[in-house]
Amino acid sequence: MTGPGVRAAALVAALLAYPFVDKALGFQTVHAVSDGMIYVLLALGLNIVVGYAGLLDLGYAAFFAIGAYAMGLLNSPVLGSPLYGHAWSFWLCIWLAAAMSALLGVVIGAPTLRVRGDYLAIITLGFGEIIPVAIRNLGDITVDIGGWRPIERLNLTGGENGVNPIGRPYLPGVPFETDPVPWYFLILIIGAASLWSMNRLRDSRLGRAWMAIREDETAADCTGVNPISTKLLAFALGASFSGFAGSVYAAKLQAITPGAFEFQVSIMLLCMVVLGGAGSLKGVILGGMLITVFDRVVLTQTTFMVRAAGRAAGVAALTTADLTLWRWFFFGLGLVLVMLLRPEGLAGRRLRPVAVGVDDAEDPMVLEPPPPPRAEAIPRWLRDRAPRGAAADPRVPILEVRGVVKQFGGVVALNEVDLLVPHGAIIGLIGPNGAGKTTFFNVVTGLIRPDGGRIALVGASLAGLRPNAIVALGVARTFQSIRLFPQMTVLENVLVGGHCRLAATVAGAVLRPPAVRAEESRARARAHELLAFTGLGDKADELARNLPYGDQRRLEIARALATEPRLLLLDEPTAGMNPRETEALTELIGLLRRELSLSVLLIEHDMEVVMRISDRITVLDYGTRIAEGTPAEIQRHPKVIEAYLGTGGEQDLAARDRSR
Amino acid sequence: MLELADVHTYYGNIRALRGVSLGVSTSEIVTLIGANGAGKTTTLRTILGTVRPRRGTVSFDGHRLDTLATDRIVRLGIAQSPEGRRIFPRMTVLENLELGAFARADRAAIAPDLERVLTLFPRLRERTAQKGGTLSGGEQQMLAIGRALMARPTLLLLDEPSMGLSPILVDTIFQIIRDINRQGTTILLVEQNARMALRVAHRGYVIQTGRIVLQDAAAELLRSDVVRRSYLGEK
Repeated sequence: MTGPGVRAAALVAALLAYPFVDKALGFQTVHAVSDGMIYVLLALGLNIVVGYAGLLDLGYAAFFAIGAYAMGLLNSPVLGSPLYGHAWSFWLCIWLAAAMSALLGVVIGAPTLRVRGDYLAIITLGFGEIIPVAIRNLGDITVDIGGWRPIERLNLTGGENGVNPIGRPYLPGVPFETDPVPWYFLILIIGAASLWSMNRLRDSRLGRAWMAIREDETAADCTGVNPISTKLLAFALGASFSGFAGSVYAAKLQAITPGAFEFQVSIMLLCMVVLGGAGSLKGVILGGMLITVFDRVVLTQTTFMVRAAGRAAGVAALTTADLTLWRWFFFGLGLVLVMLLRPEGLAGRRLRPVAVGVDDAEDPMVLEPPPPPRAEAIPRWLRDRAPRGAAADPRVPILEVRGVVKQFGGVVALNEVDLLVPHGAIIGLIGPNGAGKTTFFNVVTGLIRPDGGRIALVGASLAGLRPNAIVALGVARTFQSIRLFPQMTVLENVLVGGHCRLAATVAGAVLRPPAVRAEESRARARAHELLAFTGLGDKADELARNLPYGDQRRLEIARALATEPRLLLLDEPTAGMNPRETEALTELIGLLRRELSLSVLLIEHDMEVVMRISDRITVLDYGTRIAEGTPAEIQRHPKVIEAYLGTGGEQDLAARDRSR
Repeated sequence: MLELADVHTYYGNIRALRGVSLGVSTSEIVTLIGANGAGKTTTLRTILGTVRPRRGTVSFDGHRLDTLATDRIVRLGIAQSPEGRRIFPRMTVLENLELGAFARADRAAIAPDLERVLTLFPRLRERTAQKGGTLSGGEQQMLAIGRALMARPTLLLLDEPSMGLSPILVDTIFQIIRDINRQGTTILLVEQNARMALRVAHRGYVIQTGRIVLQDAAAELLRSDVVRRSYLGEK
């Protein structure tokens, strides 16, 4: 058996043996540890929302409350549940509670989808406050409409008194009533199953989509990830885990009151996630266990010791000291220390410094140029996809833009712009800075809604479509200021590109039926091929942020190709590249068009590149098209020379031509 | 004026600069050229103190910079137009420019300098009330340079000033670099566009994987085989 295997076996053995050892030694910590595991499960659910999807949720205890009260409502004699007293009802109720929490997750998530960061945190804070207040006030509901009372004195939540008792689980021969050990194992099983499914979710199409949203929502949207459904799913799944936790908690405790779900609980859960390391399952478990063990075991035990010491020394103040009242002081202090000393959390992914292309070998004086792209290296599957564009009538242009108008305030960013990209063509889009070129890209990719005009992809209108839907139709783009997913690996970046061509659902991602396994391994193989083709083959496991600049540009193109585009929009792809890198990239673009009949719309300021590979060029100035024509025509166009090229640029080009 | 002696800078365990020595004399334009990841930006960061050298010294007009806080370095008269622009996106163009003059004592001279920057970049004058973040990429580049000029530095550090600019503006930027140099500002210029940089500079350094491998008068470097093949893209 290997090292990790031995460690895992030892961990399982320790977890199994723990309650019996505890009993034999008379520690009586099983209760506290079981409660701790419930909080760990809650923290793991919160980790999906905060750690994976990057949505700061300050009111997560609301879902915990819904889970607990769902159990109370469905399985307590106080509220008159018809399910109460049935042997199977606990086992049914935990699923119903999870479903109700997930539903609430969607209800709470929906209005917060358009906000991020501070605003989202404030809204979730509001929900976190609303839920306990609602629970307090739903203990005695009377609806009076002019004397007619359809609902009279309905007790939905038990009000301030809470719910007590709540039906325990029933298994033949298992003493849930008297012994904490079965609870320990029940929670251990639920926790292990949750952990197992979260682990699988993280390494799936959905987990990658969450992380992509966390890293850069706009870039994710333009890579084919639907941010709305992805975020809702994070909210719903995160909530469903806390539904499990809440319902088990309610049945174990036998009594729930609104006070158990206050703001402090949300904050404590957030502390667990942040302390351990957001996004790391191991870290969150560690953070959760540390905080609960500290709270439930260390603080009480130390209090006893301090009191004993006080009695022995005859200090009255110490004999009545209660360290548990200082709990928040210690939490706060611990969090401050961790943030100062290890801001990524106890077990978070250590932020590696930005790598610079340095090695210890003696450097050759003349730098080797990056390897030229080779036609043979084009992945076969990408070739097989190529006819997708060609299958349509070649006379229908890939992209047809007519009279597009966009205004920002009083500024006309795009003024009746027409542009045509024929099948398999490379079209240059040039113009002075601020002429509206990037705005044009944003309109075509759906990031900005135009005020007027028509945009059609192979004859079909793109009006009103979300960016991710436009990607799915075959339009991919890169960004002027590189927008990768910096904290994800190079391979993961490309895999996110494949998101819209994969189909795995939540159930598929967790259970991994053969179809999902095949899909996933195919996606990985294809991503590796794309990386090899773009010259990044040996960097698959690097974090994207650690790549040198030129590699980041190429990775953006690889990610765009992974979406299987028919039309590629490149926004200044050679900016910041030296002449050699520029040349290699120019070759690559030409190759994609030649071999795959990929159509390209190119914003570029390097005139050598634009003039060499464009079939036709459109020139924008102040949002208006001032010229359209072949490179030769554009180079001589007086308006273009005046507004854009300048006479110096012309001389410079001439000088370059001479030096060749 | 500026002197780097055997500077070694690390990011964690990665050696970014491995003994860089270079000097810039008063009223010179010196350019530092090299491939992506060679250490150009790290050199500028080390000068401004946003990363610290592990070995070696950086001095400016008799002051040791490598132990001085960045804001103090700026107050000595060094300003930078950083790579990736780094403008203040939620402040207006005018506020961005005014912040460039934040550390200046000569309040009276700020207004004419603002006028000068707005004359250099008419595009910025059209957009003084617009938020920095709503500018196009090229306009943000102009704003970053303008903001650095507002500090009226004695030494100006420019990191890829031509990136993302239209050809006509690239010409303009290099013309501006020449002009402000004639008016007495010393310039250290990092550029990917080595041809333009060497045309405007007096002297140049070539940096490769953290080491200076060549240094000469700019005109000589333009003629050098190594530079032509590696950095000018000639065959």
